[in-house]
Amino acid sequence: MVGISKHFGPVCACGDVDLSVAAGEIHGLLGENGAGKSTLMKVLLGLVTPDSGQILLRGKPETISDPLTAAARGIAMVHQHFSLVGRLTVWENIALGDRGRVDREHIRTVVREVGERYGLAVDPDARVEDLSTGERQRVEIVKCLRRDPDVLVLDEPTSVLTLEESRDLFTVLRRVVADEGKAVILISHKLDEIIHATDKVTIMRQGRVVGRRITAETDERALAREMVGRELSKWTAATAVGVMDALIEPGQTEPASGPQLEVAEEPTTADEPSAQEVSTPEGSVAADPSGATPSAAAPTVTEATTGVLLRIKDAHAISPEKIPLLRGLTLELRAGEILGIAGVEGNGQSAVGDLFSSLLPLTSGTVEVDGKTIAAGRPGAMHAAGIGVIPEDRHASGCVLDMSVAENLVLADLGGISKRGLLSRSRLNERARALIEEFEIATPSPDTPMRLLSGGNQQKVVLARELSARPRVLVAAQPTRGLDIGAIEYMTLRLHEAAKSGIAVLLLSTELSEILTLSQRIAVIHRGTIVGEMDRADVDVERLGMMMGGQTA
Amino acid sequence: MTKLLEAPHAARPAGPPGPAAPRTGAPITQRLRTPGLYALSLSLAFAIAGLLVAVVGKSPWDAAVAMYEGSLGSGSSIGQSIDQAAPLLMVAIGSVIAARAGIFNIGQEGQLIIGAAVGASVGLFMPGPGWFVLLMILLCAAIGGALWASIAAILYYWRGVDVVIATLLLIFVANQVVSFAVNRPYLLREQAVPGQTTASQSDMLRESVWLPRFGEYPGFNIGAGIFIAALLAVGVYFALTRSRWGFRIRLLGLNAKTAHRAGVGAVVVGGGALLASGAFAGLAGGAMLTGSGYRIQDGFADNVGFDGLLVALVAKDNPVRAIPVALFFGALRAGGGFLASTGIPRYIVAVVTALLVLAVVFPTAFAEIQRRRVARTTDA
Repeated sequence: MVGISKHFGPVCACGDVDLSVAAGEIHGLLGENGAGKSTLMKVLLGLVTPDSGQILLRGKPETISDPLTAAARGIAMVHQHFSLVGRLTVWENIALGDRGRVDREHIRTVVREVGERYGLAVDPDARVEDLSTGERQRVEIVKCLRRDPDVLVLDEPTSVLTLEESRDLFTVLRRVVADEGKAVILISHKLDEIIHATDKVTIMRQGRVVGRRITAETDERALAREMVGRELSKWTAATAVGVMDALIEPGQTEPASGPQLEVAEEPTTADEPSAQEVSTPEGSVAADPSGATPSAAAPTVTEATTGVLLRIKDAHAISPEKIPLLRGLTLELRAGEILGIAGVEGNGQSAVGDLFSSLLPLTSGTVEVDGKTIAAGRPGAMHAAGIGVIPEDRHASGCVLDMSVAENLVLADLGGISKRGLLSRSRLNERARALIEEFEIATPSPDTPMRLLSGGNQQKVVLARELSARPRVLVAAQPTRGLDIGAIEYMTLRLHEAAKSGIAVLLLSTELSEILTLSQRIAVIHRGTIVGEMDRADVDVERLGMMMGGQTA
Repeated sequence: MTKLLEAPHAARPAGPPGPAAPRTGAPITQRLRTPGLYALSLSLAFAIAGLLVAVVGKSPWDAAVAMYEGSLGSGSSIGQSIDQAAPLLMVAIGSVIAARAGIFNIGQEGQLIIGAAVGASVGLFMPGPGWFVLLMILLCAAIGGALWASIAAILYYWRGVDVVIATLLLIFVANQVVSFAVNRPYLLREQAVPGQTTASQSDMLRESVWLPRFGEYPGFNIGAGIFIAALLAVGVYFALTRSRWGFRIRLLGLNAKTAHRAGVGAVVVGGGALLASGAFAGLAGGAMLTGSGYRIQDGFADNVGFDGLLVALVAKDNPVRAIPVALFFGALRAGGGFLASTGIPRYIVAVVTALLVLAVVFPTAFAEIQRRRVARTTDA
């Protein structure tokens, strides 16, 4: 690809980008969100027409105007979000889009053949909805590979996979390039993946190529520097470098703890006990007024002594379609601690998030804050009880895209800015300005629609609102998903600070590295229940991985 | 690309000041598109309407003149247009409230006629001074409309019956109920006067409970309804934009999940909005009853409920903007009524007014569809 440029309005998504990928190599395309990786690949796939530049395949210029041409030229892509029909079987999904008569036997053989050739075993007769995310991705890859493409593009393939599955995936990719002489382009913003899985890497920043490296001759720090354009904080380095180091080279010390301990100003592990000591009396002071009500008096005393702020007891819940979401989930959370809930996506994390967003009623079990039972599912009940939530899908339940930034900052707390039922514009703006400044939200004005903010800034708005309500418990569900490194770093710091100030933080994440970086305690969720718990100091990544896979070890 | 305004404070290079400015004015072609669409669709509607009139053997020009005479040609016809606009505006205000809460009530036609029937019962059977009874008529009409809408609300929040379906079907039930009432002497059917046959309608309300009128026929004269409606429009506008209640309604309409989390209950706020829209439709029925006609009969609603819904659509759910739109629709209705009296068949008149309504609604609907499509692509 030579000199590819693409502008969206005033935004330059790709500016004069060159990218060359040779057969038989895995080529990493590294960059923050919005660096232009996806746009570049969309150009290659014919989904986006470039303003200028051309694509050369085997030295010959080609015009790729639509995805069908791309497929005919041997370019295939595995998208980040799968396009599979859950109700259909694997072979039916693979046959989708074919023209003419559907030859069931033929397709099933093809699926098996491709599976054998690359070590991508999938049962062609299984229903897609019964498969795990890793298997679904395999189906997507088989879908691409059966057409024998020369170039295979994978967009953030590991974002939904367990460590085990990621490792398998990279083995498959290695086989694809080594045995078949194909070219693979791996889009990622995870440094460890790039280091371990690629041969060459092209780094993009703000729509331009800022570096081309041979992977073996570089390291994570150098790559991170080029990707972000500045020295990374140690926090982010820990998050970005992730845990795959330890998996791929067993025997090394846990990667996240190393950088963490280097931070002299923020000795996490040393600081925590004191933070907890400070916060415990705080907790009891704050509980005193509520202790005046006779029903709550007795439990409050016991809670203050044990320090448990949030307690979920044997929670069961089902979805509207009667599918069990939580099956006897039990956990306890103390003031000032960060409890990380690790687990593979789809094991009840979203249900836990919904529970704390008052969106999910329990069929049995209780949620208690400070010993007081909260009516799960009643509008605003969790918020009123002092639980702040940074939801997994901020567009669905975290913010209102068509309201202004200022309005989004006050959603639930209209009391402070209204008088006798009328809202005060000036007080709304005043409050918004203060929060925008405190949380460094990049917005032209408080009246800007939320929709126009970038993902990182939208997330900051959510964070600012939840923290400004002075919660006792903060639930952060996938708080850094889809954010770029700068924003990830910011979120990580803020969560850490929140815990230090005495808030009990519950961190739900499928990124193990994130959990390892932040949490003092780690619980593993599997099929709607907690299958194991351990202190950060005792973490054995292999064991954690096994638990996430459902094996109690 | 959703990162229109990405400006990471630290990562930003020193050179450019960062794209912090919001998008400035759209290109001229885009800004001219909506007026252009209006011109196009209106001229198309006029052309088809003229053709239709010509087909039935009348002069399109005469028809156009009649339309004008009936709506704007004289003081009294202007008054007619304004009178027609009052109930339309009331219905529209209610629709706006429901739509802002994300609920699509399309049963105003039924809520209106039920409101009118309740108002008629109060007006006919309640003793007391005229002004007091008039107030009670309007109040009870609003309550009647709200209660009729509450059937749909209960069905939705209790059993999940779709609001659009429920409110729509309840129109037919409402028409049957009123038809039943005005055909039963022990209910609303007019009392027999010796030597006269009775019709399927109620007795006329006594004059002391009519809405006051200003001006004298044949000069410019209008009823008080439009003042009530305009006041309500402004009031609701401020309530929606400035009050906590309005904020909650908007929050619920824009993102129900976030609203739930923030403590805005769909049943209370959303159900309340549906009832409020029913109340405004009922009030419109009360205003029609006491402002003109003064009695209720079959077909009393005469599409006012549906036209009011369209007023809200064209006004893009803004109660203040609904005032001029309602006046336009009122003029259309008044002109259409006059057209019918010139000998053009009623069904052609209906088609002509419908065409003009369509022409006015189309650009708005088109813009709305475009907006949603853009929103969806930027979300992705």
